[in-house]
Amino acid sequence: MAAKFDLNDSSVVVIIGSGAGGGTLANELARKGISVVVLEAGRRMEMAEFKNDEIGMFGAFTWLDPRTTSGSWYVTKTSPDLPVWTCKLVGGTTVHWGACALRFQEHEFKTRTRYGAIAGANLLDWPIDLKELAPYYDRAELRMGVTGTHGIPRLPASNHGKVLFAGAKKLGYTKYETTNMAINPVPRDGRAGCQQTGFCVQGCTFGAKWSTLHIDIPQAEATGKAEVRPESQVLRIEHDASGKVTGVVYADAAGNLQRQKARIVALAANSIESPRLLLNSSSSKFPQGLANSSGQVGKNYMRHMTSTVFAIFDKPVHMYRGTAQSGIVMDEARLDTKRGFVGGYQMELLPQGLPSFATNLVPGGWGRDRASIIDSYANIAGVWLVGEDLPRETNRITLHPNRKDKFGMPIPNVHSDDHPNDLAMQKHALAQADALYKSIGAKRTVHRLPFPSTHNMGTNRMSEKPADGVVNRFGQTHDIKNLFVSDGSQFTSSGGENPTLTIVALAIRQAEHIAGQMSKGEI
Amino acid sequence: MGLFDWAGKLSRRGFLAGGAATIAAVAVTGPTILADPQNGAAPAGLNAEESRALLKFVRDLFPHDRLEDVFYAKAIAPLQEEAVKNSSTRELLAGGIARLNASTLASAGKAYADVADESVRVAAIKQIEGGAFFTKVHGDTITPLYNQPDLWPKFGYEGPSSALGGYIHRGFNDLDWL
Repeated sequence: MAAKFDLNDSSVVVIIGSGAGGGTLANELARKGISVVVLEAGRRMEMAEFKNDEIGMFGAFTWLDPRTTSGSWYVTKTSPDLPVWTCKLVGGTTVHWGACALRFQEHEFKTRTRYGAIAGANLLDWPIDLKELAPYYDRAELRMGVTGTHGIPRLPASNHGKVLFAGAKKLGYTKYETTNMAINPVPRDGRAGCQQTGFCVQGCTFGAKWSTLHIDIPQAEATGKAEVRPESQVLRIEHDASGKVTGVVYADAAGNLQRQKARIVALAANSIESPRLLLNSSSSKFPQGLANSSGQVGKNYMRHMTSTVFAIFDKPVHMYRGTAQSGIVMDEARLDTKRGFVGGYQMELLPQGLPSFATNLVPGGWGRDRASIIDSYANIAGVWLVGEDLPRETNRITLHPNRKDKFGMPIPNVHSDDHPNDLAMQKHALAQADALYKSIGAKRTVHRLPFPSTHNMGTNRMSEKPADGVVNRFGQTHDIKNLFVSDGSQFTSSGGENPTLTIVALAIRQAEHIAGQMSKGEI
Repeated sequence: MGLFDWAGKLSRRGFLAGGAATIAAVAVTGPTILADPQNGAAPAGLNAEESRALLKFVRDLFPHDRLEDVFYAKAIAPLQEEAVKNSSTRELLAGGIARLNASTLASAGKAYADVADESVRVAAIKQIEGGAFFTKVHGDTITPLYNQPDLWPKFGYEGPSSALGGYIHRGFNDLDWL
């Protein structure tokens, strides 16, 4: 059963956030016998509360705390209050994710070496490579039950997938299949098999999809070594005169401030909130914020090149039926600078129900043309184009100079300008998706530029040298040895793949490192 | 916009309810002004002519010939409710409708809702596109319009599936025309 730790218990590892990074780390540490307190800003929902309701679930668990935006990125214009679409509940964005579980490619860990110096980009090699991470990818895939790996069968192709694959074949692509997904095709490991419900991102009502809410958090609690405190929003990380962190101050469900002492603090609050918290924890000893001697905290924000192409056919597709993202074309994910850009992109199914499709199709749009597209809803297929975007120092999270949240903490500003490489890739991707669908008879295609970003990376990046980044090869901050970063903000590059599997693999690896250093008395 | 427009509203109201009751709930949990500050009486909201024009305007924004007026009436209901409670909303809506009317009176000699020629009404909308009235009505009616379960079958959308066992036995892979 779940543990209960005293606020003054300074032997615990405090984990801030319970999503892919935090939830995995909590489970790994607890199973090694290490005491953990997970502080989660959102509430705890049960599977029974999930509904096949796009608008309702958006309201129920999206992170809607105020944020501001700046920069030339499309989303800063079309969704200025909500630049990213992540979640605020126990389990974090693993409740919402589409469950595409892809490994990074070898070259994506070594972008500075492989891509060379690129003007306006702050490229850096990861201090680790694919070979080093591979065993942890294996463990992550087994834990999450990723289809197409370790003998786990793939999900069947839906109508939506059949259309994508037919177009891919016609276009001469060869790397297409039902995606590696952390969704059980058949019952496995105590989880049900997929019922092709179609509402993956509203929270799987059958529990076929992996999430830390359903898997890692209960497993961690079952060890008796983990306590999860929902509705506990951390405001500051504290340190002592030597510079070691000593605990955190958080607002509890009643809004009262509490101080939880800690032996180690692991930050897993995502690429917006994690740097925000480090910056907000500045002190006379660390005037730039914690772990920020490099000045890189909050910088190098990456959110992937994304766009969507919807194609209208003469005959029914019913894209909403079945596992949402269960189809992928990987041919364009390669590194091939002849296309006019570095990095690559994936083409992934992205169906939407009528309410979200109709409301988000053309931001601010109106009139007959827009309505005629929605009139064709049943005959529409859609593919999401998601590719590597480049780190830029100027794309960054900062504390707002005067706006504060309800706890008095400065709200974050998200600044993002497209790099010319992002735009070149976007143009290529849109043209390829158009060609794919038109090759099998699409009457018309419609482009939807980026939605608020669910992939957020890079703002506390991993580096070999302390001057180049915030954390080392284990996510341990260069400046403070008992402070860790355990989420996607560690990423040195964004890759062209959905980030969750890599976050989980890094967390499993980090847990080994933390346990090892604790047993040696180094932290 | 649309779904993402909801971010500001939901967070301002600390709104954390799920389900299809969302729209109605938003309408009744908004800021309540019991008495109009100017004349001390409860404000009347939009009159019948203004409501008719508002419905026509929303139909012109999202023109689906297959939809009866009742769907648009439901889409504007939260705004009408808000106009009763909030005099600044009422003024914004009434002012916008007056501009549409002025525009079509000048171009076609009729009030906006009475103009049969859609292109005349569209020309009037183009004059106010992107303004406060347009943005408010567009943002506040688009989701309530398309999030009506009764409307979904008209677009071939079957909606929630969990209670029916998902789509695994209901056609998730029945496509046969490729």
